[in-house]
Amino acid sequence: MQKVIQYERGLEKFKPLRNIVTYDDFDKGFNGWLDLTPNFVNADYRHYPSEVDLASWAPSMLSAAPMRFAATHGSMEGTYSLKLSTRPVADRYEQKPANGSMGVVLKRLSAFDPTMRYIQIEAWYAYTPQQDRLGFGEEDIRAFGFYFDLQDPQYRWMPGVRYVNSVNGTLTKKWQYWRVADGVTKKDWCYGREDGWQRPGVDNLWYGRRYPDGSADAFQWVPDGEQDLLYNESPDKINWLYFRLLIDYRRREYVEMQSMDRTFDLRGLAPTLTEPYKNINNLINPIFFVETDTNRSVNLFLDSVVYSTD
Amino acid sequence: MIERRVPITATFTTHPYEAGWAGEAVFFVQVEGDHPDLSVQAQISPDGLHWVNRGDPRKIAADEEIAAIELTNFGGWLRLAFTGATEQQPATVLVHIALKG
Repeated sequence: MQKVIQYERGLEKFKPLRNIVTYDDFDKGFNGWLDLTPNFVNADYRHYPSEVDLASWAPSMLSAAPMRFAATHGSMEGTYSLKLSTRPVADRYEQKPANGSMGVVLKRLSAFDPTMRYIQIEAWYAYTPQQDRLGFGEEDIRAFGFYFDLQDPQYRWMPGVRYVNSVNGTLTKKWQYWRVADGVTKKDWCYGREDGWQRPGVDNLWYGRRYPDGSADAFQWVPDGEQDLLYNESPDKINWLYFRLLIDYRRREYVEMQSMDRTFDLRGLAPTLTEPYKNINNLINPIFFVETDTNRSVNLFLDSVVYSTD
Repeated sequence: MIERRVPITATFTTHPYEAGWAGEAVFFVQVEGDHPDLSVQAQISPDGLHWVNRGDPRKIAADEEIAAIELTNFGGWLRLAFTGATEQQPATVLVHIALKG
């Protein structure tokens, strides 16, 4: 069979690997991205008890980015982006995340290529709080980021990065990568619980202790990871930013992250490898999230996302 | 799903939901367990911050478990405002929204 391949022009703003598995432009709908929820498998469709209410995260939506005083932004190309939002509630950084203080979306995929070496996620995104009060607003966005939830035949592992934008109102603006600090116990991880299903290295975005300087059990600082990301001059103006994370799936290591005009070399760094969970072999879930730092809704807009492999 | 088993004990509004792409919307409101008579008012907004009532409020009597609230020509933003729940007579509500463009 002779193949003739013609790529969509929209892909020119990405750097995909050899196999483009999904190219999601949210002008065409949710493209299979959905809110993250726990498993409602107990009596009366209750979920497992946990210290963090995993059913509380704010819903995602297709957004034209209409603003209070500025014009409607549309998306980077087209009208709609996928918007993650939070409810207007936050605990202090050192405490466990308040119910609803995050927005989380994921796509449920699987590994299908036994020769696969690399996996890569790319996105064009923007972030802003609601313009519900006077002020610049940048310090009200605590963090946003991306991770892969993976399980291969040997391990469950979650490579990812997050941008720590603000800690209790102090701009921080540094990148972290997902790896649990040495010596962290299940009790440390689960806010004092010794039982339960949570394991250190799984669901880093809300487990583990957090410290006032922005460090945390679940994350390590990216070397030379300070970056002054573009945030416009008002909460009702957004600019579109580029993000790319490349993972060595076979070696279970980070390779590199590109954020705007900088590429961070992550080779030699690895996420935490944990025991596999039942029934989810060959799991690949790409996941984005945003977290508010104060009692204010904040948003992460995804214009488009490309997941590719090689 | 916009609200997932949220307990309410006073006036409550659902998370502002942006749906400008859709031409029609149906809110499904489910109430779990015992609850007082509730009144549910659909509201629309230009920016997710300023709200105006749309249509008449829908009553959910104490012996009812589910209601549907239909909307068309709603612009961009949608939410529901609940009244009737109190500390003495709380309610637990689930709110789905079904949208078609």
